[in-house]
Amino acid sequence: MFIRVEGLHKNFGDIPILRGVDLSVRKGDAVFIIGRSGCGKSTLLRCLNGLESFELGKIHVGNVDVQMSGGQPLSERQIRGLRNQFGMVFQSFNLFPHLNVLENVIKAPMVVKGLSRADAEAIAVPLLEKVGLKSQLFKYPSQISGGQQQRAAIARALAMNPKVMLYDEPTSALDPFLVDEVFQVMRQLADEGMTQIVVTHEHRFAREAADQVIFMEDGLVVEAGPAEQIFHSPKDDRTRVFLRKYA
Amino acid sequence: MKSLIAGMLIALFGAASAPAATAAEGVLRWAADAEGGAPYVFRDPRNPSRMVGFEVDLMEEVAHRLGLKAEFVQNQWDSLIPGLQRGDYDVAVNGIEITEDRKREVLFSDPYFVTYEQITVRKENQDLQSLEDAKGRIAGTLKYSLAERILKAQGGIEVRGYDSQTTIYEDLSNGRLDFVLLDHPIAVYYGNPDPRLKSVGRPVGDMTYGIAVPLSNAALQQKINQALSSMKSEGKLREIYDRWGIWNSRMAEAFQDYSPSKKATELNEYLAAMGRTQTWRQQAAQYWSYVPLLARGAVTTLQLSAVGMILAVALGLLLALVRLYVGGVPGFFAMVYTEAIRGTPLLIQLFFIFYGLPNIGIKLSPFVAAVIGLGMNYGAYEAEVYRAGFLSVPRSQMDAALSLGMNRWQALCHVILPQATRVALPPMTNDFISLLKDSSLVSVITMVELTKVYGQLASTYYDYLGIGILTAAMYFVIGLPFVRLSRALEKKFTKGRPHI
Ligand SMILES: Nc1ncnc2c1ncn2[C@@H]1O[C@H](COP(=O)(O)OP(=O)(O)OP(=O)(O)O)[C@@H](O)[C@H]1O
Ligand SMILES: [Mg+2]
Repeated sequence: MFIRVEGLHKNFGDIPILRGVDLSVRKGDAVFIIGRSGCGKSTLLRCLNGLESFELGKIHVGNVDVQMSGGQPLSERQIRGLRNQFGMVFQSFNLFPHLNVLENVIKAPMVVKGLSRADAEAIAVPLLEKVGLKSQLFKYPSQISGGQQQRAAIARALAMNPKVMLYDEPTSALDPFLVDEVFQVMRQLADEGMTQIVVTHEHRFAREAADQVIFMEDGLVVEAGPAEQIFHSPKDDRTRVFLRKYA
Repeated sequence: MKSLIAGMLIALFGAASAPAATAAEGVLRWAADAEGGAPYVFRDPRNPSRMVGFEVDLMEEVAHRLGLKAEFVQNQWDSLIPGLQRGDYDVAVNGIEITEDRKREVLFSDPYFVTYEQITVRKENQDLQSLEDAKGRIAGTLKYSLAERILKAQGGIEVRGYDSQTTIYEDLSNGRLDFVLLDHPIAVYYGNPDPRLKSVGRPVGDMTYGIAVPLSNAALQQKINQALSSMKSEGKLREIYDRWGIWNSRMAEAFQDYSPSKKATELNEYLAAMGRTQTWRQQAAQYWSYVPLLARGAVTTLQLSAVGMILAVALGLLLALVRLYVGGVPGFFAMVYTEAIRGTPLLIQLFFIFYGLPNIGIKLSPFVAAVIGLGMNYGAYEAEVYRAGFLSVPRSQMDAALSLGMNRWQALCHVILPQATRVALPPMTNDFISLLKDSSLVSVITMVELTKVYGQLASTYYDYLGIGILTAAMYFVIGLPFVRLSRALEKKFTKGRPHI
């Protein structure tokens, strides 16, 4: 398994948000996480890439192992280890508004890896071409559509050469007719063998593209399995109730 | 004159220990405020780059007799004694009355001049000859002066306090006042030249001027007394006062010298220079001749403001970062600093830095003290401007930067700061323009900047309007490049911002 999470516990103050999450992801798989609002999906993604610390549990990804046994927060070294593995795409894109599309993509390689502008552009331009933004390099985020912004954000994350891409509801802020162009890019990445974890309410897309679907409730993984199994013959009653309501 | 403010400030900060005497060998550094006007120390109307006045002649002669070269130092009148205590010059000479209060702060030479308060009225109004006749009348005089205290003690007189002597006599001339009570030399130079006015009545009160010397320098006091005494016996003092037209009955008594005065050559030349009717060409040439002087002041103002603002922005940024991203005890202190500085006047802060700190062994040059004062004061305002800027950047920007592998510092520099700056820039430009103008306060610590040059020129020529407009234009012109710069920066930083 490329990613293995065991017994992940996370509290905000006194309130337990994740209560022992287990999950495994194979290299190259597309894993979709579904569940009610507030069940801890975003928090799980943020724990994976070290944006949030956690109290208890273990994250293994690639050659990085982070184990927490309560008390102290993540160390700088642990955070660095996790961040290098993951790229993240946010619901509201979070592009840097003061930079144009190209600058958004080359910023981190230049600042973090110390690449020259030319070297960074040599990485960025093909990526932007891949997500279909070749003609928008010098536009500012406010000058392009939401779909284009989200594709630029995907290119920006890819420029740091992550092993795994995390998406937190990547299409929830988009007009319906812009959703597909983003999924198109994700599908293409899957074809190239990228490992991806996607939190989404778009069950239609999950059903069609997922290698594994994970259903979460109340900070726990209730059920995990192939899309076929989760959507057509869920084992757990809670999954059934959820799908009847939202699918 | 403005002894009240000076007294208050001295009481606040205590007397600075006087450091070792003269900076340069062979020089007698003496301080006065050339904004005080004629005939004490003022800019020569015929050549405004030169300082003239009876105290200039006096100090040239005293220095000569001590085998020294006289060197004039400009300082705000209120600050003459604190500056003396701080050791910025050897003596202070500017119509400083010898009083018991001041004797605790400095040593005084023997009196070099005695005078009195003079009543001046409109010519048709000569029934008013003494303060006893003045019940129910309106009097004008300088604020915080001996004359003001006398008028108030008299009772029954409506007293109006002014900042500058020229406007007082104008107001008398045009009927806003019934009479003016002011130092006799001032009446000679600013009241009597007006053909509608006349000085009347007997001398009121007594004033004795002395040369102020630091408490620690009794030797200098003694040498000056010897010089004054020989100048008196050789008739040199009398000659100076005759030339300036200010020999008076009190001097005659004091010197036991009742011979008639000689021709007041300096007074006549002054009146001729001021009374000359000018063609508009001459007038324009006259204004043009002020420009180099004002420009020199403007350069000082610009240097002070630019360095002060750089300091303020750096400090403000630091304070904002400490408050937002460090917090805890350092954050608390940053907040206390901001509130304390914003809650107290810049003038007091400057005074404290320049005249107060030498008490604990920190003696800064006027420029450094001015820049630090302005920088620390405006730093508190920039801290709030930057804090608002940082708070306007959504937290999700930090998340995005971190998720790309940047550390917090890199995220701050490359992602948060540029966005905060674009919010902070317009209020920062505002603050810079106001700093440019506030920098005029540093004249209390011997700096001669644009407003000070204006004050000196205006009091020499009685021309507050014309020279005022010229000075305002100067401020506008030096502020302009910065407004432009900020526009350009704003444009750069607003790229990509949605058009609202
Ligand atoms: N920084 C925080 N401080 C305190 N509570 C938080 C914080 N972030 C999230 N929570 C709480 O944790 C719980 C899980 O939040 P999370 O954002 O992970 O849910 P989610 O499954 O992503 O929901 P949604 O579908 O609405 O995005 C919620 O109850 C939320 O209110
Ligand atoms: Mg969420």
